Amino acid sequence: MTMSPHEVQAYVLTYLEALDCQIMERSPAHVTVKLSPEADKALTNRPYYWGFVERTGAPAETMSFTFIFDPDSYQQAIEAAEAKAAQALPSIVPDPAEKNGVTNGSPQGEPPKETILGRYFGITPSMPLLGPGRILREEVVYGSRRLQQIFGAAREGGAFVNLFEQAAKRQLRATAPAVYEPWLGVCFKVEFACDLKREELHFLGISLRSGEIIEKFGTKLNRRDLSPRLAENMHVQTAKVSLSDAGAALESHLTNRLLELDYSWAEKAQERLDLELDVLDTYYEAVLREDTPEVELTGNTASGMESVHSNRTPPVPLKKVLDIPNAKPNGADVELAAEAVVPIDTETDAEEEKAKQAVIDREAMKLQYETRRTEMIWQYEPKVKVTAISSGMFHLR
Amino acid sequence: MNRKNPHHMNQTVAELPVPLEFDRSWINQLESRLDKGGPWGDYRLFQLGIQAEETNLIPNFDEIQCLKHLQGLTPLPHQMDTARRVLFEMSGRAILADEVGLGKTIEAGLILKEYMVRGLVSKVLILVPASLVLQWVRELNSKFGIPAIAQKKAYSWQNEVVVASMDTAKRDPHKDMLLNTDYDMIIIDEAHKLKNKKTTNYQFMLKLRKKYCLLLTATPVQNDMSELFNLINLLKPGQLGRQGDFAANFVVDKRVPKNQEQLKNELSKVMIRNRRGEGPVQFTKRNVSNVNLQLSPEEQALYDGVTSFVKDQYQEAGGNLSSMLSLVTLQREVCSSRDAVFVTLVNLSKKLPLDSPLRDKIWELVAHIKAIKENTKAEKTMELIRNMNEKVIIFTEYRATQEYLLNYFRNNGLTAVPYRGGMNRGKKDWMMDLFRGRVQAMIATEAGGEGINLQFCHHMINFDLPWNPMRVEQRIGRVHRLGQQNDVNIFNLSTTGTIEEHILNLLHEKINMFEMVIGGLDVILERLEKKESIEKSLYKIMLESQNDEDIRRKMDSLGQSLNSIQREVADEGPAVSGLLDLRKGGS
Repeated sequence: MTMSPHEVQAYVLTYLEALDCQIMERSPAHVTVKLSPEADKALTNRPYYWGFVERTGAPAETMSFTFIFDPDSYQQAIEAAEAKAAQALPSIVPDPAEKNGVTNGSPQGEPPKETILGRYFGITPSMPLLGPGRILREEVVYGSRRLQQIFGAAREGGAFVNLFEQAAKRQLRATAPAVYEPWLGVCFKVEFACDLKREELHFLGISLRSGEIIEKFGTKLNRRDLSPRLAENMHVQTAKVSLSDAGAALESHLTNRLLELDYSWAEKAQERLDLELDVLDTYYEAVLREDTPEVELTGNTASGMESVHSNRTPPVPLKKVLDIPNAKPNGADVELAAEAVVPIDTETDAEEEKAKQAVIDREAMKLQYETRRTEMIWQYEPKVKVTAISSGMFHLR
Repeated sequence: MNRKNPHHMNQTVAELPVPLEFDRSWINQLESRLDKGGPWGDYRLFQLGIQAEETNLIPNFDEIQCLKHLQGLTPLPHQMDTARRVLFEMSGRAILADEVGLGKTIEAGLILKEYMVRGLVSKVLILVPASLVLQWVRELNSKFGIPAIAQKKAYSWQNEVVVASMDTAKRDPHKDMLLNTDYDMIIIDEAHKLKNKKTTNYQFMLKLRKKYCLLLTATPVQNDMSELFNLINLLKPGQLGRQGDFAANFVVDKRVPKNQEQLKNELSKVMIRNRRGEGPVQFTKRNVSNVNLQLSPEEQALYDGVTSFVKDQYQEAGGNLSSMLSLVTLQREVCSSRDAVFVTLVNLSKKLPLDSPLRDKIWELVAHIKAIKENTKAEKTMELIRNMNEKVIIFTEYRATQEYLLNYFRNNGLTAVPYRGGMNRGKKDWMMDLFRGRVQAMIATEAGGEGINLQFCHHMINFDLPWNPMRVEQRIGRVHRLGQQNDVNIFNLSTTGTIEEHILNLLHEKINMFEMVIGGLDVILERLEKKESIEKSLYKIMLESQNDEDIRRKMDSLGQSLNSIQREVADEGPAVSGLLDLRKGGS
């Protein structure tokens, strides 16, 4: 799913209003806003500044932004406004429309330089170099990092709620206290992962009185008017089911639901894993079985036809090799090294060297094998993971 | 259902066929808030949070999701195709072996982005040649919104997505840190440098722990089959069997494969190679013009003076080439600019003992230099640029020439910026930005030959030519690549009656390099250079020839050697490089 600029605008505006930000300007294509302290802390990544504010009690200066949802429309709107302004007051030199926002405290720098700066600093995340006095312009469209950040902030901000259904006006006048049933609502995200991945959302609710479980809890909630305030004449029923039991119940319910799904994807993943492991195992077992580890093709093995060309002459690639103590291949290499370094007195020394080297190589090979195997399992093994996006207590009539 | 026994905490339901894990941290958090009476979130945020999750949800296993997150990027069909295959058929471990200029970086970016969007990859290591680090960082950030950083200090490695040079990575103290990290994905650019399994680079790569891995190279096989084997062994050991089996099954001789269909089949499981000219991917044309200029009498005098100077020294040195190398460049520098010659002569004289007779000869030459008032090539360049009236990149071998041209252009009202190897990354980036912006010309030395993209520019002037054809090809590749909208105009400036003319002749006429397919050239050169580098051969020709006729003859024979190697490669064509033709009947 994606979000249209319109949807993005609605989303961001809701977020800003929920956090009591001061909206200075809005249009279908953009919004100019002065952030509230809470929003500032969430979005601008200035932990040291806020720490300072808290310690010294200095007045907090929050930042302002112009979030643009539809860059093309916004650009057109700006140009239209400029054109009008130019007509109205022909003596004023029109602004270079590109980089300067609607209200901008920045000095009139040379446009080309500022463009370069914009491009240059575009790589780094928006640092508040410009301070609270200026208004930063940002494009917020689906996929942009700012939007993902707002998503995250919204998720965190609303992760745990405790809400009460507000009565319709009629009922408020009734004298009898209304009974509220406590519900636990949790939105679960289920991830089906192997070397590929799929996700599902399940919003479940369970009554802490009766233990009844409802799926698509969100739809039930949408019809009601919820608020964090306790209403008058409210009588909250005591919960019969404890929270942890309720949670467990939801988990079993979800598990049952998941059981009904098709797991052929997991079977296929397992097959892929098995196939790959097979290839891997065959290879390494054969390699480790031999006495001399097959790190290099020597002229000795009968099947090494290729070696005829590459190993009779002093191997050209050897020139490039730097000292690798660990995985130095056997065979021609050791002989050459032996010749080059110290004239070997006895033959047995060379043999010992070879044997030692062989052991080291085997260990290295084994380690390689194990690592690769673990990696593969990590990559392919199918698994299902369930996390809770948000949860809350809902007191409903 | 568990309604009946609400206190029963264990799972009584049957197990799923796969491991199931529940994250239960929310329960404690909720409980503590209930106990303390807060802090509670806003209901609107609660709904927004769920809405966010819904929009980001990945509903199915095998559809590319990342495109909706990428504004303003329209990948080409072959790039999307490659991404799909790597993601859904090759499980994220593959060699991307597209021919030069087809956008391997984009393909890698798509694959990486897709994995990141799905939450399968968060820790990424990208190893590229040092000159390309910044470019990768820029592309990943701007085109894909991936927060990549260039590795600078030790703490840089902590970042989730790090781009670094392979040389830095394999050195201490970084090496141990990297070997101890579990990477979700590793991407290697110019992976053909890993073709030799005895190098430290290869061993290092082998030991790095990774889930997904991409190897990018335009030339997976340059010389022999074992190179291919080594590369594939990095990704999926055992895919092609053990080396012995591989040799037995698939190799007749270093370069001649057998059982090709089967081999191609195996290869297509781990490698993707797109070729230019295949499919709708069209490259624009190359228009090459050789501009022959006559040196002015003063310049000619300098050239003659230098030539005889150098030849005398060669005779005196008894024909020993290695002692001559600095002198030999003098002749080339004359064809470039007097500044270049001057700098070399000055350096030379500094090293000489005070009473050396060479000094007099040098001062003679300096006198010639002083006599030169104009630079023929520079004037012609100005003329060309004024005619084209568009952005142009000018390549030169010599820094002194670069400085001279900068000044010359400025005096003539032409905006220009330099680009050279000595600049740090930041400055290089800055120069590129200026060139992209309001500056009309960029003058680059060899560092400009590597890696940077200049698709927005389609005029190129070779002020002087490097003697290695590969370098010329690399220069051209900066401009003539995918993304280039216009035909590319290449102007080679050469001076008649000089060594430059002969070189150009060799490159253009004999080996027709400007028309040649990439990948063909470096194979040919590697083979030629088994005995000695092409530059050395050329130097020898220059120094040992008695006269022009001699030079021509020797150049001819060099040209013929190149031609015969070219034919050799063409004959093997269906063999090794044909292997890489994975689309035609192989996969």
